[in-house]
Amino acid sequence: QSLAAESFVVSALFSPQLDRGCALHTAARGGLSSVSSQDVPAERPRAIFHTSESDPAKHTEQHEGRLYNIPLEEVKAVFPHGLPHRFQQQIQTFNEARVMVRKPALELLAYLKGSNFAHPAVRYVIYGERGTGKTMTLCHVVHYCSRQGWLVVHIPDAHLWVKNCKELFQSSYNRDRLDQPLQASIWLKNFKTSNEHFLEEIKTQKKYMWGKRESTEEGRPLREVVEQGLARVRSASDAVGVVLRELKLQSHCGSFRLLVAVDGVNALWGQTTLRKEDKSPVSPEELTLVHNLRKMVMNDWNGGAIVTTLSQTGSLFKPSSAYTPQELLGKEGFDALDPFVPIPVPNYSPKEFESCYGYYLERKWLQHEKAHTEDGKAELQFLSGSNPRQLDRLAGPL
Amino acid sequence: RIMPVRWSRYNPSYLEPEVKKESYQKPLEELTEEEREQMELKAVRPIKAAPLTLSSSVFSDPMISKFTNMMMKSGNKVLARSLMSQTLEAIKRKQLEKYHKAPENEKETIECNPYIIFHQALKNCQPIIGLSNITKGGKTYQVPVPLTDNRKRFLAMKWLITECRENKRRRTMMPEKLSQELLLAFNNEGPVIKKKHVLHKMAEANRAYAHFRWW
Repeated sequence: QSLAAESFVVSALFSPQLDRGCALHTAARGGLSSVSSQDVPAERPRAIFHTSESDPAKHTEQHEGRLYNIPLEEVKAVFPHGLPHRFQQQIQTFNEARVMVRKPALELLAYLKGSNFAHPAVRYVIYGERGTGKTMTLCHVVHYCSRQGWLVVHIPDAHLWVKNCKELFQSSYNRDRLDQPLQASIWLKNFKTSNEHFLEEIKTQKKYMWGKRESTEEGRPLREVVEQGLARVRSASDAVGVVLRELKLQSHCGSFRLLVAVDGVNALWGQTTLRKEDKSPVSPEELTLVHNLRKMVMNDWNGGAIVTTLSQTGSLFKPSSAYTPQELLGKEGFDALDPFVPIPVPNYSPKEFESCYGYYLERKWLQHEKAHTEDGKAELQFLSGSNPRQLDRLAGPL
Repeated sequence: RIMPVRWSRYNPSYLEPEVKKESYQKPLEELTEEEREQMELKAVRPIKAAPLTLSSSVFSDPMISKFTNMMMKSGNKVLARSLMSQTLEAIKRKQLEKYHKAPENEKETIECNPYIIFHQALKNCQPIIGLSNITKGGKTYQVPVPLTDNRKRFLAMKWLITECRENKRRRTMMPEKLSQELLLAFNNEGPVIKKKHVLHKMAEANRAYAHFRWW
């Protein structure tokens, strides 16, 4: 009887799809139909390409190509920064945040679940061509780690730290280096929003002097360091350095797991467009923030993982066709990151394309009458080349 | 760079190219007599080169292309087209946000399709009657005159574009302002509709000179 009920529900789910004229690709249909019968019984997801499993820990190959929902409060808590701009606009228009579960993310989650935290931190580099979903994969992993209770150090775009900086001050800690108060204070504010409860538990292990009169004693919670950085913007970069150092030293104790998520890691080893007051170019190691971040990305600590993304879009002095780690990181960066696990992110497979197209139709994003037809769908697939960003850009005006 | 291949003067024997896929997919039996003759003619006569702006895409719209051409400055079609697509997206976003916040009974009244809004707004902005300058006995009079369809469409598009270019704040982007104006025109409000009404009133006021027109 249950089988009959399931097949009835499956056919009920299929018929609106068929009526709308978007006949599924035969392989995709085979894959999705065999899968949906397991997903359907208890609750009823809205359509085949949605899944009601909103905990990334439980995502398996079964959920591949489907979209899962992140509640909006969680989005504000976990991602104060880090989501791509177009995705943020989409969240606002559709009133929900739906992320597609894709193979590279599942691969990364499997590695993280099976990793041994007594060994040094493993580095994962997500790479791929422009607009294939590297940042979204990173966000999926960050969501998983924050659900599992890890401490997440998420740098949304390292390129923002090496270009367009209005204020550069000479660092008081080290004469040769340069401080960036604005970028550091923005990052500290977002870090505070995402990791409130951890900042109380972790205590400093050394006394830190901020200038002549202010200091933070040993054994004070990290929250005070962060607030010091926010209050005195001049010492914000040093506060960032202190926070990163403390986290690195204490991660091996085992009280918390540390995830370092850096988007656009190739910025740390390239060139900058910043200049000192005597118009001489600044190299990345002369910036405090970059210097401290480089130390964080080294694999000499244990008790966590480092997940990074390469990005050509914001990069400086790199050709637009470059996407491999060798090209984007350069010799210096590649040697620094050397034993890493590369994770390529391809364009949409036919199943993923179907799922994305179906989602846009369901949310009424594709309004053009011809977009509902087979011809329109074939045209969208051809013009975008199954590239997620191109599909999003094309579907905008339609 | 794309070099134009279409000449400006063709021998009258050249026929226009047919771009729509549907016309080639009809089986032979469904064609009427005229269409069969047309097909046989096409087999013997030469065909003009298709213009660059003609596309066989199912999403192409001649009104939108005309509007994009009018918005274009110094041949920068890439910029004009991107502005147009951003405008359509902005209209869609605004309407979708309104749609999702509205209560159930009002949801059907909200139009979310940017193309329908664009076409309706242009139709609402088209004047019915225009004025033309006619000199008689040394003085120029503003005479009310009927307008052709092309002229009406051109005036509506021209008014919209000049309105958006001149009366926007310095920091507003063109797509934002255009989407605002199109939504107002869709609801028969806004400065462009006012301009159309002013023109109608002037034509009504100058009714006495209507007999000066000789065509």
